[in-house]
Amino acid sequence: MSNAIETRDLTYRAGSHFELRDVGLNVREGSIYGFLGPNGSGKTTTIRLLLGMLRPVRGTISVLGRRVPDDIARIMAHTGYVPERPHLYPYLTVEQAVRYHRAFFPDFDAAYADELRRSFAIPPAQKLAALSKGEMGKLHIVLVLAQRPRLLVLDEPTDGLDPVVRRDVLSALLDFCSQGTATVFISSHLVHELERICDWVGVLDGGKLVVELPMQGFKNGIKRIRVAHAPSLVGDTPFIVLGREMSGLEQVWVVRGWQAPMVQWFEGVGADVREIVDLDLEEGFVELLRSSRTSAS
Amino acid sequence: MYRQVLRSQWLALRLPVVLLAVLGFALPLLTVTYGGALENAPSETVAQWLFASQKIGVLIPGLALLVGLLLGIGTWAPDHAGKHVYALSLPVPRAMYVLLRFAAGATLVAAPVLALGVGSAVAVLSVKLPGGIHAYPLQLTLRFALACLVCFAIFFAISISTRRAALAVLGLLGGVVLADLVLAALSISGAATVSETVLYLLVNWPGPLAILMGRWALFDV
Repeated sequence: MSNAIETRDLTYRAGSHFELRDVGLNVREGSIYGFLGPNGSGKTTTIRLLLGMLRPVRGTISVLGRRVPDDIARIMAHTGYVPERPHLYPYLTVEQAVRYHRAFFPDFDAAYADELRRSFAIPPAQKLAALSKGEMGKLHIVLVLAQRPRLLVLDEPTDGLDPVVRRDVLSALLDFCSQGTATVFISSHLVHELERICDWVGVLDGGKLVVELPMQGFKNGIKRIRVAHAPSLVGDTPFIVLGREMSGLEQVWVVRGWQAPMVQWFEGVGADVREIVDLDLEEGFVELLRSSRTSAS
Repeated sequence: MYRQVLRSQWLALRLPVVLLAVLGFALPLLTVTYGGALENAPSETVAQWLFASQKIGVLIPGLALLVGLLLGIGTWAPDHAGKHVYALSLPVPRAMYVLLRFAAGATLVAAPVLALGVGSAVAVLSVKLPGGIHAYPLQLTLRFALACLVCFAIFFAISISTRRAALAVLGLLGGVVLADLVLAALSISGAATVSETVLYLLVNWPGPLAILMGRWALFDV
């Protein structure tokens, strides 16, 4: 399967305090890719690089099989982009904004836009300046979904929205994805939100891609293991040790890439495995960041 | 595409456009305020009226400058406010988008130009000119249109330029002032200072602002 988004050695600098370093993304066509990272990790910068809004210092970017920025106009014809903060013209009404947007996208599905707008209960005659944050977010979703894009790039689309609106937006997205084979690239720091909808996940921290793997692998592969009689020095392990700390007489290990037969490794070093706990995405995410920061420092 | 950009621009700028059109209509009428019955007036009165009407004509290039300023800056302002994020997410090459915005802005310039044309025609029809005095409504309107477009293009270019380009222009102006100061300090007296030379180059043909200079008369000999 080919990649809808592919970057190699993507590097970008903004002043002396921020750097995006050697980011290599592989977003498979048809996947829903969750781009996770804490605030300030470089998610929005990466997205702007992918969409040709910023120029990298080094590296290559390919989106929908075309090179960025050379072919950006053709790429954008098949890409729906919802920015972190909506930047639509506030003096337009909802209806005028839809008409304006439609003029640029030949495949724009006006009937679908109308259907979505009604389902979101956005009044057509309302000026955008008078829309609430939730309504504005929903309008942006209406516009990009009605483009019938091959690629959806959503930058924190539910950030700051109330739970009801957030659910509406996410279910509209899922509905859209179930209708076709569009690729969705969605960035967020709300980990639990992506857990429900994504099938791939990439984690960015401090401008570096820490990990990129299938959601199932991410969720199942990260475990918290309670171990007794663990050796103080650990050699090569068949899994990746993210963290290790004492808890009374026992040790708590957080590992990645875990598979059931690996319990034999502990037996081989004379340790007893007392408990193996699946971590949810948020816990796994936190442990992953903690481990990557520890190894970086 | 162009129609939607024009429509959006009109919605954003309709108040200044209407105000500029009202001014454009009113200015030529002001030139004939006191010139209702000039046909048999003594030549001194005619000369005074002509002088007064030509003084009002000075306001016309001022209006062209205002049209250029408001529409040139206003054309790009909504995208500036949105940090160009929405504009850059549209599937058109950047040059094409700039052209669309420019064309739509230039179309709006037509409103004050047409208003000035109509105002000039009304002004000409409302006065009976003595022998030897002629009206130039078409010429004035065409010149005003050209001046508006030049000013619009200048302010549009300033508006779309990057911060680096703006700094370069400011640096150039600073350099001119500095050169004058250095020349003054060294007591080098030339025929003209550097700033005077630059100003001369700007306002004299083929300088870009030459169109604004000279006489702007609806009525002349």
